Amino acid sequence: MKPPIQPVRTAVDWPPEAGQLISFRTDEGWKTGFVKEVRWGLVWRDFILEDARVIPEHKVEGCPQPPPRRNVSDVTQDEREFWEERLVSMAESGLDPHEREQSFWAELNQYLAYTYLRFKQPGHQVPNAEHRLGT
Amino acid sequence: MIAMMNTPRRKWNVSAPDEKTERLVWESLSRAGLIEIGPNEFPDRIRDMKNLVISRLNELLEQKSAMKERESAAYSLGTLKKLETTLQQHPPKSGRSRS
Repeated sequence: MKPPIQPVRTAVDWPPEAGQLISFRTDEGWKTGFVKEVRWGLVWRDFILEDARVIPEHKVEGCPQPPPRRNVSDVTQDEREFWEERLVSMAESGLDPHEREQSFWAELNQYLAYTYLRFKQPGHQVPNAEHRLGT
Repeated sequence: MIAMMNTPRRKWNVSAPDEKTERLVWESLSRAGLIEIGPNEFPDRIRDMKNLVISRLNELLEQKSAMKERESAAYSLGTLKKLETTLQQHPPKSGRSRS
């Protein structure tokens, strides 16, 4: 299924700038929104839309393949601990990570992906990972 | 425009020269179910990551020289446990709209 809007973008003009309209994949099909800002997380970039939705870069139409990624070693201890404290604070304040496309969901998702890349050993498989192939 | 999230403004060294390696990393994240965690999958993914950190921590405990990494891993394990405990107290609400 094609996105409703297919902006012509090349690696040169990626990522989209603030104010630009983007299309992104969801479980319900393609959606659109206007970019407010693009920010790096612990692993990948998130596109913050003007309506506050947070869209991972790899879900956005036109994203380079493979998507850009930060090296785990680029994350400082201070930055990691800042993220950890903020996530715990968000959880304790009652924010709901089940709200997809909201900041808590996005940040918790990135933190878990970062933790995996940080600690996984060569050849290691997360238990039952085979059941998630193709996700 | 690229904005850092409460971190100093600088350009990160995004990994990349080796496209094959990058694809493998993304495939690895996908197999682990961590690229896009479903609304009801957080408890399982947090548990997976706790087990991963515990496994690494056990290895580090056998190494006398890895004190800093050990402390860092223990801190992260504590974070995962806090998140797990807190989220258990806030189960998903039914009827919530999700995309």
